[in-house]
Amino acid sequence: MMTTEELKTIAVDKIVDARGTACPGPLLEAKKSLGTISSGQTMEILSSDEGTKVDIPKWCMKQGHEYLGTIEEGGFFRIFMKKN
Amino acid sequence: MEAKKLCLALYTGSVDKLTAAGVILSGAAADDMQVDIYVLLQAARAFKKEVGDNEALLNMAENPGMKEEFMASLKKLNVKTWVEFFKEAKAITDVKIHICGLAGKVWGGEKLDDFIDLADDICGIGAYITSAQEADINLFI
Repeated sequence: MMTTEELKTIAVDKIVDARGTACPGPLLEAKKSLGTISSGQTMEILSSDEGTKVDIPKWCMKQGHEYLGTIEEGGFFRIFMKKN
Repeated sequence: MEAKKLCLALYTGSVDKLTAAGVILSGAAADDMQVDIYVLLQAARAFKKEVGDNEALLNMAENPGMKEEFMASLKKLNVKTWVEFFKEAKAITDVKIHICGLAGKVWGGEKLDDFIDLADDICGIGAYITSAQEADINLFI
């Protein structure tokens, strides 16, 4: 896990903007986008759905990817992960 | 790692429960699960070509008087139709949809072609039992 300050310095390889979709939209958008990045690359998922900030860390753990942390912005979450 | 298997006995033909099944299916797709869906009695009607996600032809299992409000809320939240959920899951992971032969006949569907293109085959109950025995997760909706 990284601190908020560390997360803010990451130059992510892919941003998935899933704001405006309800669960399970953000999780599926993340799943589909994962195929477009390589192992070792990072992805940031933007979601306004409260459940996503719980779903993505658990999904990363099950799928063997690295959950890096979440930043709460006004009205949405920035969720960071690294593909393994 | 071998894919986990979900076996879903889909009995309902109601739009609220079909949508719930679609949401669960999305979770299974995100986890790369192998999914077998057995379309039983009432659900087979929803899989008929003339029904599908034509909401005017679908009922609600719960709170039937609130269908209009329910459907309007789903649209406002950009929630996919149940058919879209199923299609998307099929595009992501291994989802096989089996129409129970008896169920199909109850609603006048004899051939695979009588059903929406989500359906993979028409099967008997033995196939369902075998799949249920092998599955990591079994659901009846």
